[in-house]
Amino acid sequence: MRLLVRAVAATGLALLAAGAGLAVAAPAHAANAKVSVVHGIPGTPVDVYVNGTRTLQNFQPKQVAGPLDLPPGQYDIALTAPGQPVGSAILTVNDATVPDGANISLVAHLDASGQPKLTAFVNDTSKVAAGKARLIVRHTAAAPAVDVRAGGQPVFRNLTNPNEAKADVAAGTVSADVVLAGTSTVALGPTSLNLREGTATIVYAIGSAEQKSLDVVAQTITGLHSAPGGVPSGTGGLADTRPGGWLYAALALGAVLALGGALHAARTARATR
Amino acid sequence: MRRGLLAAALGVVILIGTGTLACRSRPPGDAGSAAASALASPSSAPPAASVPVADGGLPAPDADVPPVRLTIPAIRVAARVDPVAVDPATNDFAVPPSVDVVGWYRYGPGLSAPAGSVVIAGHVDGAAQGPGAFFRLRDLAIGAEIEVTGADGRVVRYTVAAREIYRKTAIPLDRYFARDGAPRLTLITCGGPFDRATGHYRDNVVITAAR
Repeated sequence: MRLLVRAVAATGLALLAAGAGLAVAAPAHAANAKVSVVHGIPGTPVDVYVNGTRTLQNFQPKQVAGPLDLPPGQYDIALTAPGQPVGSAILTVNDATVPDGANISLVAHLDASGQPKLTAFVNDTSKVAAGKARLIVRHTAAAPAVDVRAGGQPVFRNLTNPNEAKADVAAGTVSADVVLAGTSTVALGPTSLNLREGTATIVYAIGSAEQKSLDVVAQTITGLHSAPGGVPSGTGGLADTRPGGWLYAALALGAVLALGGALHAARTARATR
Repeated sequence: MRRGLLAAALGVVILIGTGTLACRSRPPGDAGSAAASALASPSSAPPAASVPVADGGLPAPDADVPPVRLTIPAIRVAARVDPVAVDPATNDFAVPPSVDVVGWYRYGPGLSAPAGSVVIAGHVDGAAQGPGAFFRLRDLAIGAEIEVTGADGRVVRYTVAAREIYRKTAIPLDRYFARDGAPRLTLITCGGPFDRATGHYRDNVVITAAR
């Protein structure tokens, strides 16, 4: 029971923090929030209840559900063993705030000491520049602080449970691994990470170092791409659509001939009279 | 007096002739803009009956089919297509330097994508190289046929639905680089008045073609 209370308090705070962060950006009218559910507790399939209704059945570890389109408001969330009634929940969160228009990932995972927990992360769905991909790494494993390396170089340092680090990087494939903070002791990987342009790739470190069940779960958010700045595709001027010099020359010649000819004709007409 | 009248008459003929020629040779303007916006508007997906559940594996590499050849018989285009990205220095579309080669925006949809705009851009001309593959793109009429060959040998046929000319400062690039909406082909080059001081054209010419 103490575990349950602690989980409730922690998640409530996380959700509240998410709400506060988004208050400024949220539009005036109520927009549905997008809520994804990530299962990061090894060996524990669950049913997920939202406001007492079973929303996900036999949800397996390393699966990602959603996004659910939820109107903003307060939600009661409960996780039970598959087929068990909501009354015998493993984890519950009451009155979790889902803010207006937010994109949230609700993660069932282990805390640093190995206890199950629910944490809500707000996903950064702002556009990325053309050619870029967003990499978000979330430490949701029962493990100490870690560094995340790409191509052998640390990109995120001293990441702890339950926090995230993120960066917009050049799209493409990188070889990534996770090491214990400040060391070169590999905890996870290396793995080839395909970062698609215009997407956010969220990688969750899950499981437990002690039980040797460390693993990763990935969630991808698409549609964050931007168009290039422009399409410069001509430097010759051969297709110039302004009237060319020939036009002005011909017009000038025509005008000179017409005026000169008329004047001359008038003058000779006067002389012959 | 007769000589004078003759000269005057010739002058008038030249003025009229030049005027007519200038009007006739005015480049073709926009056509089919409504069709282009209709193709770009995303269809609203029906609400999902149940919550989708996916395996949280690491994202797999792209499996789209890159275009390798572009053929437009009406304006005698038969060009190689190279996959290109963004010039990191300028954030612009990295149009291939050779004016005979056109570039496919490899971050966007390819030929097997179920939705969105396959974008191919090419030079209208080059200062040193002369006319480019897309020199006559502006003359392309609604209904003209375009063939794109994929790296896997497939041939996808498109029909020109719109021809639009925008100032580069006002072109709605997001619409042409969209990854949703009807599967379509977007061809882009330069056009309009040329600024000799900067070496750039003022406008972009955009062809939208439907499958």
